[in-house]
Amino acid sequence: MSEKTRTGTIDFERLSEYKYRIPRQGKMRVDAVFYASERILEDLAAEDYASLRQLMGVATLPGVVEPALSMPDIHWGYGFPIGGVAAFDPREGGVVSPGGVGFDINCGVRLLVSDITREELEGRKERLADELFRSVPSGVGRGRKDFRIGRPDLKRLLVEGPSWLVERGYGEPGDIDGIESRGRLAGADPDAVSERAYQRGQPQLGTLGSGNHFLEVQYVDEIYDEDAARAYGLHPGQVTVLIHSGSRGLGHQVCSEYVERFLQVAPRYGIELVDRQLAAAPVDSPEGRAYLGAMSAAANFAFANRQLIAHFTREAFTRSGFGGRPLRVLYDLAHNNAKLEEHGGKEVLVHRKGATRAFGPGNPELPERYREAGQPVLVPGDMGRYSFVLAGTEGSMRETFGSSAHGAGRKMSRRRAKKAARGRALIREMAKMGILVRAAGRATVDEEMSEAYKDAAEVVEVTDGAGIGKKVARLRPRIVVKG
Amino acid sequence: MIRMLDHTADVGFEVEAPSVDGLFEEALRGLLLVMFDAPPEGDGEEEREVRLSAPDLETLLVRWLNELIFLVQGEGFVPVSAEVRVEEGYSLLARLRGVPLDVGKYGWQGEIKGATFHGLEVVHRNGSLHARVILDV
Repeated sequence: MSEKTRTGTIDFERLSEYKYRIPRQGKMRVDAVFYASERILEDLAAEDYASLRQLMGVATLPGVVEPALSMPDIHWGYGFPIGGVAAFDPREGGVVSPGGVGFDINCGVRLLVSDITREELEGRKERLADELFRSVPSGVGRGRKDFRIGRPDLKRLLVEGPSWLVERGYGEPGDIDGIESRGRLAGADPDAVSERAYQRGQPQLGTLGSGNHFLEVQYVDEIYDEDAARAYGLHPGQVTVLIHSGSRGLGHQVCSEYVERFLQVAPRYGIELVDRQLAAAPVDSPEGRAYLGAMSAAANFAFANRQLIAHFTREAFTRSGFGGRPLRVLYDLAHNNAKLEEHGGKEVLVHRKGATRAFGPGNPELPERYREAGQPVLVPGDMGRYSFVLAGTEGSMRETFGSSAHGAGRKMSRRRAKKAARGRALIREMAKMGILVRAAGRATVDEEMSEAYKDAAEVVEVTDGAGIGKKVARLRPRIVVKG
Repeated sequence: MIRMLDHTADVGFEVEAPSVDGLFEEALRGLLLVMFDAPPEGDGEEEREVRLSAPDLETLLVRWLNELIFLVQGEGFVPVSAEVRVEEGYSLLARLRGVPLDVGKYGWQGEIKGATFHGLEVVHRNGSLHARVILDV
């Protein structure tokens, strides 16, 4: 296929029902591969293939391992497309790109599961919604009053992650087992994190943030794979909680500073950039190592942030009449980071920018209880429809450096969504559907309206159909808390 | 002059001014229009001073915006007006007047993570300066 765009022609070929290849062209060092359905292709065309152009830009970076990839929820980002996955070989001059991780380092989702039934929830929904809204602040303009952390402790937390919190009573020891990399990336260097990043992050631990971040109380409404669901402890009608947040101002600051620094040093390493937000330095360079140290520290902060939010969520459940009903961590995973992993017999640095790690069955990194089913992959949809639980597969290990989709993907800009929401009472509309929304302001509800997003089901169908993830369960929202 | 941009995942704006100083002052206005539905106007009672330097003008603009984002989101200080002086080299001195952050009163639109270098440009065109910035929100 050859598609004409305003910035030239893009050639790509269909490899299978949902898989396409962009052969190496121009400055690309390797081929690029993307996953899409006919409908997703139409969405890509509607934005003049800008996100595929970004994917082609990623394929120009030194040391990139074939192929540069994007998941079915690809959409236009800055530098890397959202949904982009790229691995770099440090021994071949491979680079690390802070823009390829994103501002919200280690942003991710945590799924808690309970034995509470949907019917039990309905009777206490209003109370629980109010309690959760009070317990989980957005963190803008004010920090938590019930949790403060001093600088020396924060430095330790950047190394130890959620374990530091659990040891002090903010969570249960079993929580750690359900977190990707046990919530602790090795090599975290708190001294590579600037004073400004500390200033921004310190009051924000345990806060949600705004934009697309949320906390949802849901129920399981459909099981697609009985065996995997059993391994994950999921059954129909059961109440779950999904928490979406990241490393807050600490991570944003780390990203800003290192993008700037890498822009200065990239020419020294002979790195040509087709987009400055792709600023990069060799993994094996002083700058590359410093960024990975700071990024890992920010990642541990993000894992800890979700841990603290989960702790206050449990307290809110207790105050709402659900005392003694445990909320177990099914899984906590990141969808914005760069990690050294072994693929194809060599160690490569895998960037996932809006993509989920999706390790297949048998992977020793997974907790024993998930080793047969594969890693749980959490794919949040928009706030009005549904989210999905998938499982990592052998296909994702073989084709996508153990990666899968991370969400629905926007199709409307925030401004357009706000315009479309004008004159509508979205919160009331959702209440009629049985979904209670609690939000700090109207703006985030409007710009996050269902219609602003692609249908997550479409993304999941393509992921499942392409074999890079396996559908396990669908979750429906009942309470949505937005920053 | 400010023109808001539409970007699927993020937001941005273009600004135009006769001078570099003016361009940076306009960038503050553009940022406030992204952050607030009804940004505070007039003169604030509180004063702040900002000094920054950068290897080039575009990086200086990114640092300026990131500094303003920090003042609003980190310090709860909303700059309403700015007197900016940009020197060759590149450095910036700004005197800001502002008001305390009030998310309800000014119609807070949500956090901004940072200013990006994606599609960033500062160019001379028809006797004035133009800049385009995309913010990650």
